[in-house]
Amino acid sequence: MRLFKLLVPILISIILIVLDARFSYLDSFKRFTLTLLSPIYFVVDLPSHVVDWVNDQGSEKAQLVSENKYLEGKTIELKARLQTYNNLVLENQKLTQLLDATYTIPEHQITLAHVKSISQSRLKKQIIINKGSKDGVRNTQLIVGSDGVVGQVTQVTPLYSTVQLITDPTQHMPVKNVRNGIRGVTKGLATNERGMIVKFIPLDSDVKLGDIFVTSGIGTTYPPGYLVGKVSKIDKPPNEAFLTITLKPMQNMDKLEFILIISQKND
Amino acid sequence: MTKNSSLLLLTKITIIALIVGAISLPTILEIVSPFWMLIFFIYWVIYTDTKAIYLFALILGLLTDILQGSILGQNALALLISSAFIFNVKKSFYVSNLTTQQVYVFFASLIYLIALILTHIAIQGFNFSWLIILSPFTASIIWPVVRLFLAKLKH
Repeated sequence: MRLFKLLVPILISIILIVLDARFSYLDSFKRFTLTLLSPIYFVVDLPSHVVDWVNDQGSEKAQLVSENKYLEGKTIELKARLQTYNNLVLENQKLTQLLDATYTIPEHQITLAHVKSISQSRLKKQIIINKGSKDGVRNTQLIVGSDGVVGQVTQVTPLYSTVQLITDPTQHMPVKNVRNGIRGVTKGLATNERGMIVKFIPLDSDVKLGDIFVTSGIGTTYPPGYLVGKVSKIDKPPNEAFLTITLKPMQNMDKLEFILIISQKND
Repeated sequence: MTKNSSLLLLTKITIIALIVGAISLPTILEIVSPFWMLIFFIYWVIYTDTKAIYLFALILGLLTDILQGSILGQNALALLISSAFIFNVKKSFYVSNLTTQQVYVFFASLIYLIALILTHIAIQGFNFSWLIILSPFTASIIWPVVRLFLAKLKH
């Protein structure tokens, strides 16, 4: 009987693991429960709120502080917009050499969010942000920082969202080399906190140290042109069909404070 | 311990374990930190007379999975197996000195880690930092502090 009492919940756990890993039947249950648990994030963040509040109270510079915060957010937003524009300028230069191309600049809607906490699971690299479904955040949206791509929204509650970093081993992102348009897919490295590899680039491809990779826009999940990483190492394994390219993310994940949620205009 | 006080302690322990687990730490500390829910739950298992230990282990494991964004059932399975170990050595654990208790906590955490890693490998492959194997050590080191804190909380 005692063994039966143990085996039943173990069996339930295994069934849940299989269901959650292979199908999405449990997503709404997870979202509902996470919404109930979301006050936990508020409690965890409370000390920093209190410190901010105490600092702001009685300070003659309160207005300056809020203005500074607003401008800081605005700067990040502009730097993120600049990433796509810089990429477009480079592409445009190349294309105009070939033909009289007309180019449309991508119109993305940008929402500023604050990072609440960085990673709470040892097997995943993720952050929690202070924007949720009430602010129009949805799963799979791209998240960028002032210097480059941060990751992708993986869980949304009304007030908070979870973002899986691009350096997480389960995160894959289609990218291309800015210099020559060679395409590949990034994958995070578990053993390296700040690294990614680019897969599926043939051995004879022209890739150099220092080349910059941006989101390629292949598929509809990620908008194109956002900076992903810079090539820090290139290996040519003898018995492999593809190069092993290591990227250093453009965005320093350790210094994240504000991030931007990118959504297509028609989202 | 009466049924009501046992459930009240479990509620307190659950809330504290979830909050402590959600506090953001530097990456390396995050990886080597103890399995908070497990070590808090061990304390409850030792002092409770409740029969439905595995049911509560399942529920708390699922809550941990959801809050951490893990695959549903992953922490639940690990917590269930570790709880079964602790339940089997409960009488010995209760009367043991602190050092022996730390050894039990180490093995419970090791069982938890193995279950967690096996499910992770089965679903996502070998993509995790090997520093994680230090977490049973940190769990056993921190056990005296947790025990002292929860003893205060119990009263």
